[in-house]
Amino acid sequence: MTRADKFLLAGLVLFSLLSMAALYSRFSGGDDKLQSSKAVISVQGKILRTIDLTPGTRSSFTLQGRLGPSIVGVEGNRIRMLEAPCAGKVCVNQRWIENPGETIVCIPGEIMIRIEGTAPLDAVTR
Amino acid sequence: MTSQGTRRMVFMGLLVALATALHVVEGMLSIPLPVPGVKLGLANVVTLLAIYLYGFRDGLTVALMRVLLGSLISGMFLSPGFMLGLTGAVGSTMIMALLLKHTTCFSMIGISMAGAAAHNMGQLLAACLILQNSALIYYLPVLLLTGIPTGIFTGVLLNSLISQSEKSGMLNDLVRTSP
Repeated sequence: MTRADKFLLAGLVLFSLLSMAALYSRFSGGDDKLQSSKAVISVQGKILRTIDLTPGTRSSFTLQGRLGPSIVGVEGNRIRMLEAPCAGKVCVNQRWIENPGETIVCIPGEIMIRIEGTAPLDAVTR
Repeated sequence: MTSQGTRRMVFMGLLVALATALHVVEGMLSIPLPVPGVKLGLANVVTLLAIYLYGFRDGLTVALMRVLLGSLISGMFLSPGFMLGLTGAVGSTMIMALLLKHTTCFSMIGISMAGAAAHNMGQLLAACLILQNSALIYYLPVLLLTGIPTGIFTGVLLNSLISQSEKSGMLNDLVRTSP
């Protein structure tokens, strides 16, 4: 290893560490994962309400579907159907959803819950 | 075409075959790191050897043929991975040939480190272009850092290969036969 090699080595290490610091420092301020998402609930094609899914909150409410009252539970950034008047209970059995793009659909009750927001990952390739 | 030209052609064929074999075998090895895409760069040893022996054009030939044949063998021809390998190979070959020809202060270790860095940068540039997304630049420091030890490793390999074969006179016999 010559002197120039060592300089190059030091330069490369320095450059990658500096670029690492420059690139990653903007993430340290706000926690990306805690970025709030929204759940949009629509009944019979119309948006009924939009709920901010912020971490650390917990609530449940009743909404009127086509068949009758359904109970929706919200816990932090996830949401689920707790009770539904339909026969199949597909929506209840789907349990919690939390990632943007995920949906719970109750076809007999004509209820749809969809989480909106930016996905943390949109593709993984190897 | 003298016997020297024939020797050169045969030796180039050997280098391409060796580089292709290393490229394919290397693709099967997975490095136990949490990030994808980190490779030893063994095939780069052969590219650098070709540049050292014959110059930039033949080094580029070895690199391009290696990526082409390797992708055909592993069934990745024209896949995104193929594009990344191609730009990386071209970038690193250019940088290594430049350093080898126009500087004297670097040993093979420095040159192969620079080649590894150029490979990573070319690769990321291609990835950003393919995905139309500049966010991949966040991957650069990781790749650069892992490229340093692998660059040193291939450089050490090449240093000892060249010094050993020059001591035994093998390379001189094979490659630089005086007419």
